[in-house]
Amino acid sequence: MANERKGEVQFGEQLTVRSHILRSAMTSGPGIFWVTFFLLLPLVWIGVISFLTRTEVGGFERPFTFENYTRFIGFGFFGFDMLYPQIILRSLVLGIGTAVLCMITALPLAFFIAGLPARYKTLALTLVLIPFWTNLLIRTYAWQILLAPESPLTRLAVWLHFTEPGLPLYPSAMAIYIGMVCDYLPFLVLPLYASVEKIDWSIAEAASDLGADGPRVFWHAILPQVTPGLVAGIILVLIPATGQFVIPDLLGGAKTVMLGNAIQQQFQQSRDWPFGSAITFVGMGAVMLGLWAYARAAGERGGEII
Amino acid sequence: MYKRLIVIVVSLLVTASAWAQKNKLNVFIWSEYIDPKIIDQFSKEYDCKVTVDLYEDNESMMAKLEGGGDSLYDICVPSDYIIPALIKNGLLAPLRKENIPNMKNLDPKFANREYDPGNKYTAPYQWGTVGLFVRKKAGETIDETWGLVFDAKKQIGSFLIIDDARAAIGAALKYKGYSLNCTDKKQLKEARDVLIDAKKRSLGFEGGVGIKNKVLAKVCRIGMVYNGDAVRGMKEDPETYYFVPREGSEIWLDNMAVPAKAPNRDMAEKFINYILDAKIGAQLSNFNQYATPNEAALEFISPADLKNPAIYPPPDVMKTLEFVKDLGAKTGWYDELWTGIKSK
Amino acid sequence: MKRVSLPLWLVSAFLYVFMYAPLAVVIIFSFNAAKHGGPWTGFTTDWYTSLLADKQKQDATWNTLILAVASTVIATALGTMLGYGLSRYWFPGKKMFSLAMYIPVMIPDIVMAVAMLAFFKLLTSAGGFLQMGLATMTIAHITFQIPFVAIVVRSRLVGMDPAIEEAAHDLGASTWQTFWSVTFPLMLPGVLAGAMLAFTLSLDDFVVSFFTTGPGATTLPILIYSSVKRGITPDINALSTLIVLASVIGTIGVTLLQRPRQPSGG
Repeated sequence: MANERKGEVQFGEQLTVRSHILRSAMTSGPGIFWVTFFLLLPLVWIGVISFLTRTEVGGFERPFTFENYTRFIGFGFFGFDMLYPQIILRSLVLGIGTAVLCMITALPLAFFIAGLPARYKTLALTLVLIPFWTNLLIRTYAWQILLAPESPLTRLAVWLHFTEPGLPLYPSAMAIYIGMVCDYLPFLVLPLYASVEKIDWSIAEAASDLGADGPRVFWHAILPQVTPGLVAGIILVLIPATGQFVIPDLLGGAKTVMLGNAIQQQFQQSRDWPFGSAITFVGMGAVMLGLWAYARAAGERGGEII
Repeated sequence: MYKRLIVIVVSLLVTASAWAQKNKLNVFIWSEYIDPKIIDQFSKEYDCKVTVDLYEDNESMMAKLEGGGDSLYDICVPSDYIIPALIKNGLLAPLRKENIPNMKNLDPKFANREYDPGNKYTAPYQWGTVGLFVRKKAGETIDETWGLVFDAKKQIGSFLIIDDARAAIGAALKYKGYSLNCTDKKQLKEARDVLIDAKKRSLGFEGGVGIKNKVLAKVCRIGMVYNGDAVRGMKEDPETYYFVPREGSEIWLDNMAVPAKAPNRDMAEKFINYILDAKIGAQLSNFNQYATPNEAALEFISPADLKNPAIYPPPDVMKTLEFVKDLGAKTGWYDELWTGIKSK
Repeated sequence: MKRVSLPLWLVSAFLYVFMYAPLAVVIIFSFNAAKHGGPWTGFTTDWYTSLLADKQKQDATWNTLILAVASTVIATALGTMLGYGLSRYWFPGKKMFSLAMYIPVMIPDIVMAVAMLAFFKLLTSAGGFLQMGLATMTIAHITFQIPFVAIVVRSRLVGMDPAIEEAAHDLGASTWQTFWSVTFPLMLPGVLAGAMLAFTLSLDDFVVSFFTTGPGATTLPILIYSSVKRGITPDINALSTLIVLASVIGTIGVTLLQRPRQPSGG
């Protein structure tokens, strides 16, 4: 692809640089324009708003100020309180925790599907896809029903002395994680499976022939082969999970405020768009930073990311 | 089986005819707050297609209006304390009183209040209180205090806190013996700490109607709710009951208003006039079990409701109730407090 | 090495049950006679019949479908062109823009939602020609659909053997002819897959819709969310069951459609 500019023959054609640009404008142009205008520009606009001041009635106006960011760091009306950095941290923990849990559950599932006879593989995959294609809201509120005081799951928990009778199992951190994993598991299984499917088992056989035991074979011969799929899946989970607000809202009883909830609250109930924009920007920055760091670390071992 | 078939056919026909109506009205209102029959009656009488969109709290409603809803909705139902902010923000259209003769039906106590002198923009809709909705065990006496929620030692079961900043913070302030319009930072901090502690022991925050439903579904035992929702809940389940805690609570007055750029202003004012009619006003209150500010409607209210202390509190309870006031610039403090409470 | 051991079977079975538990619960409880979604009190189909008379839910269903179809059509067109253009042609700054195209895929949906909300508010107050509602929601949906379609189409194109197109050109076909007779038909499964993906993303979207909606433009996910916040009413379970059934049928249909592709090296 890097040879495009040099006028080499590609796909049976030899195009000039000018021709490339013209054709790009015709094909990629509209799409790029759309995304730039309706997403990139708005993101810049959010950045601008984050430096403005909230009016008394919930709008925003000049003067430009750093107040929203200082308030974010912790200098609020009632004294210093590192509330919002904590929220971001909590959300990152949630994202990472979800990714790790999904990874632990996705690995056996991916290997299971890969190990099935060929004619059952599609079926098994489809069975993973079906919940994936079902509306997230429905699956989340269904967990509310499953974790209500009189449901079988809750009764089991009571019997195990995990909780008191009459209390629901939500809202709780556990409920949030259950909801998150249930939702994001397919996101990890699918790319992971794509990698697992392509595993060259002969390497593992060679390793065990050379005397390595089970775990070492897995760690050194198999795991590196699935890393690209694993990395892709973890990224697909980590970012949305960190910004998720519906699941913490419905299963966390709005008791635990995550990044998504905090942003939603400032934009809706509190009507403080400047502050909400500041939170959004910092939050997005934190996620991007974490992602970049992870991609660099993993990129050395894995292949391309998308 | 045939009955169901008829219901289906009739509703399809009704739906079809609804598409053909000339006039339109877009109502934006709290959930479970208006009798669907009233909507149907109005729709037939004025040959008007009525759409109803719902919200659970004032702030979201205001956010919607600011986001362009003021040119899409014809009627909204804000609570008293948020009206000055709506007016200041230019979100409401003045009412043309000549189109609303039924304004005279209002009880003078509820008309011409400080949040909208002369009722230039709003017409009172319903009033009520905020209190606790509890599921009682047989033979149990309940200590009627906010302590059931705010005092760990007095907690008798799982509870939910209402997702309404002024109502929840107000309850905490009243519990500590302060005014629910207080602007003393020290007192506000105390209320905040009380609420944070309660939140940790609670099942979370929800809208009033959601809490009522959760108490009925036995998901929790106690909930902070608006009185009318509770009274309707009591009718469904006699094991439950509502009270205003002795430390005092909030009395609120909801109003009908017309957003600034409403597309069907005439219809909106006809609607307000319709609701202010004595019989319709009574039908409304008999449905949602709230108290009516409509003096002329009182004679049509069901006698049981008039005697129900949960709907029309006796004088000694009325003394402990406070209206929530708009605090101007200091509203931001309550916002900050609320975010802090929810985020910890 | 490829046989599946018993522990793996058990763990996987458990995980499948875990993933399906919510769906099963919703379906079962849609027949529960309890009015507030509490414990089971009896079997009934009343909630399904009540849906037929519920205009609000019908409007929401209608809105959801219109939104999904409109946004999918436009997004597939723009996204396909984008995928094709990015895989074939060059322009200054291409590397940077390619990365930028992945932003909607990368950022949390709430960030995208509030950014668009703020931007729409700017547009509505400045121009007065755009109102919050189905129009803004469609624009928002298209914005996150385009990159997904582009990625799918592009990956299909990358996997294609260039020899076929080269042969067409060698035989004298112009770019235009080559595209329509050769490239596009080969690309079509990717385009359809992209369209299907876009359609599903739109149908299921909640967060972006929630922030960019307006009066009268309520979609099913928004309706379900508001109802759930108010306390689970059984008719939501009935509605959800119908949605689940539609998703199941859709997924199976899509999978069946994709099967003949395998021989071409998928």
